[in-house]
Amino acid sequence: MRILWNEMKKILTWKSLLLLLIINCILYFFLIDFYIKHFPNGRPALDSYRIGIEMIEKYGTSMNDEEFQDFRKVYEARVEEADRYLQTEKVAVSEGIDTYAKFNSYDWSSASKEAGELRDRLFFEEGTDLFWELQERNRLIGFYDGKKMYPSDITPAQKQRYEELAKEGIFGTYPEVAIRNFQDYITNVAVAILFSVVAVISPMILEDRTRHVVPLQYTSKKGRNVLKTKLLASFLSTLLVITSLLVIYLSLYSLNDTSVYFNVRINSFIGNESWYNPTFLQYILFTIGGIYLVGIAFGLAAMGFSTIVPNTLTLLGVQIPFVAGFLIFALNRIITFPMNMWFPKWQMPVFYGLLLLSSMFFVWYVNRREKKMDITI
Amino acid sequence: MRIVLLECKKVIMSPVIIGLFFLFTAFNLLVIFNSSDHKDELKIVNEIIDTYGREITPSSLELLKKDIQNDLLELEQLTGKRYDSVYDFLEGLDVEAYERYSDKEKTFITQLQLKEMYESTASSIDENYAKIDVEKLGHTSLEMYKISGPAAKTYLAENEKFAKRFDDMIQNEEHKEWFFAGKAYKMHTYLFNNIFLQMMIEILLLVVLSTAFLATYEFEQRSHLVAFSTRRGRKLMKDKLAASLATAVAISALVLGSTLGVFFMVFDYSHVWETSISSAFNWEYNFPNVAWWDITVGQFLLASIGVLFIGVLLISVLTFAISILIKNSYVTFFVVAAGFILLYMLPSFMPHSSNLLFVAGYTLPTLLMAISGLFMGSSGMIFFKNFEWVTIGVWTAITIIALFISFRRFAKLDIQ
Repeated sequence: MRILWNEMKKILTWKSLLLLLIINCILYFFLIDFYIKHFPNGRPALDSYRIGIEMIEKYGTSMNDEEFQDFRKVYEARVEEADRYLQTEKVAVSEGIDTYAKFNSYDWSSASKEAGELRDRLFFEEGTDLFWELQERNRLIGFYDGKKMYPSDITPAQKQRYEELAKEGIFGTYPEVAIRNFQDYITNVAVAILFSVVAVISPMILEDRTRHVVPLQYTSKKGRNVLKTKLLASFLSTLLVITSLLVIYLSLYSLNDTSVYFNVRINSFIGNESWYNPTFLQYILFTIGGIYLVGIAFGLAAMGFSTIVPNTLTLLGVQIPFVAGFLIFALNRIITFPMNMWFPKWQMPVFYGLLLLSSMFFVWYVNRREKKMDITI
Repeated sequence: MRIVLLECKKVIMSPVIIGLFFLFTAFNLLVIFNSSDHKDELKIVNEIIDTYGREITPSSLELLKKDIQNDLLELEQLTGKRYDSVYDFLEGLDVEAYERYSDKEKTFITQLQLKEMYESTASSIDENYAKIDVEKLGHTSLEMYKISGPAAKTYLAENEKFAKRFDDMIQNEEHKEWFFAGKAYKMHTYLFNNIFLQMMIEILLLVVLSTAFLATYEFEQRSHLVAFSTRRGRKLMKDKLAASLATAVAISALVLGSTLGVFFMVFDYSHVWETSISSAFNWEYNFPNVAWWDITVGQFLLASIGVLFIGVLLISVLTFAISILIKNSYVTFFVVAAGFILLYMLPSFMPHSSNLLFVAGYTLPTLLMAISGLFMGSSGMIFFKNFEWVTIGVWTAITIIALFISFRRFAKLDIQ
């Protein structure tokens, strides 16, 4: 126990914690900050977010045709409001856009200067949300009207899934701002955590060897088993790093205030057809699990490399292709869109399985190697 | 000299560096081959340049139009109907009917289609350039970036200079030269942004790794007590610096050579080297690429490679200086990486009303990450005419000072 504690202290030195801080600060400003500071990102994303909340509060987390009829009525009422508003505008009347329908079908590319100014005023200056809101409601209704359509060039499995969803009456109805924002946010958090784990875990075991501590340790009662303790210490440190970073990043995420959406099932968000149908909250938890898995896999790999490479050049050089390969080929598939129907259904579990199994096998191999290795100095 | 060579050998013979080099090259080639669908379509430009000359003059354009008319006559014989443009013909054509034509006829149709595309772009050059009002665009981008105060003044002053250059450019007819159609293929962005950026990151990774490795080798291998007590002593560091620079040059040359070599084998640039980089065909997004100087595509490529080499060498020396101070290659790697990103982001931390906003852009990372926009007056916040040489000058000075400080410190360092 005491050795384990001391080994962990060797990993989490103030130097490596400082490194952790630097990496996370920089990646925070480089990748993550945007999705907190700019949520919802401008218009009509803000209206989308608001209307989504209104829908959930009024109709619950799923909508049937009847409820949607009511939603349409609200839209029509708002359109009338817009009509009345436009009729009070002199420019609108003289340009022939005195109703919202005319306003919408107006040819803006050849608009007169006054009409353009009016439009800018309505959208940007007057502080009314009406026109943005109408635009967004119109879009939502458009999606609902086209809910039964799906792309023609799809695999049989995808087609079956579409039919299944249609049979259960699950369609993309709710605005997707919240879930899109979460997907972007958590992907970048995963990148930051991945770099943090690799940077913190990698050096320790190698450092012992370059300092020629290992031959000394071999002569102790614990002997070769000390590697097991080091691996365990690295593993615990990995968990510690992932957990503490996740706590920080998720509390930052709570600033986005998306909890109203937590009970909506992910297939109910627009353009988000998925193989599984958890609620948004369950989906968040699943993604967090995924981050743990990825973090642990790369932590294990880092320990393994640290045990066998001769110097830091090799330690870093060997891990670059793995990390880059993961970022380029796998990140999108298992963290951003783990359940999405664009990808085959088997892909996500297979990727996770391969990642974890290969890294576990690697550590097992490294450990076995240690037991049989010749001791030379 | 022998010591330098032996130091180089430590890196060059290292299996990791060799392995990474091959992996990176393989990845680059994969990217190139994956996006080479249109490589045959590009060849039409070579034919056009061969037949009508590099410059687009009214008479040569007239000649091209005449040839297109002849081709349309041929199309009439092929289809039995008169079309004003091959696009009219293609519009009314379904896939099955198209499949009935022989391969030769298909090539003919595609060629004609491409010729018409180039011809129509060339004919509308004057019209499109007349629409551009650089000074007005300057004000628009100020609004877009929300720049005000002294910064806005600086921006507008430079923009005015650029407006003049833009007019000169039109006067010289630099834009009336044939190049691959920018809107369709975006070859400038593809080569100087995608491929160069990729190579830059790969080279920097290799160079920073190897430099940090060399500089801290004796300390990390615990051979410092022996190495620094020899007759060569602490001067060994100078050999190591020379070795780092030599390997940096070697790595850059190898990565550039292999990737660009294959790139230019896949994409035939042989006829467009002499074309001006400000060509109207090099218009990919909202604004055409317009350089501050009258430079050709070939010169632009050489200049980009030059900037890359200088930048990589400076980064190598900076890494070396930091390594001496930190004495740990692992930490050095992350410090350099963090510093690089931090400097790259520097402008985003600056107030949008102060000139600091632009000053913060004069950094090495910004220079190295913006190859496709270098020497251009159309590259947003770094469009200043003096951007390249001032950045390189300032950072050479900073690098030399940093190196001097760390060598001085090393000379007095308590080695234990």
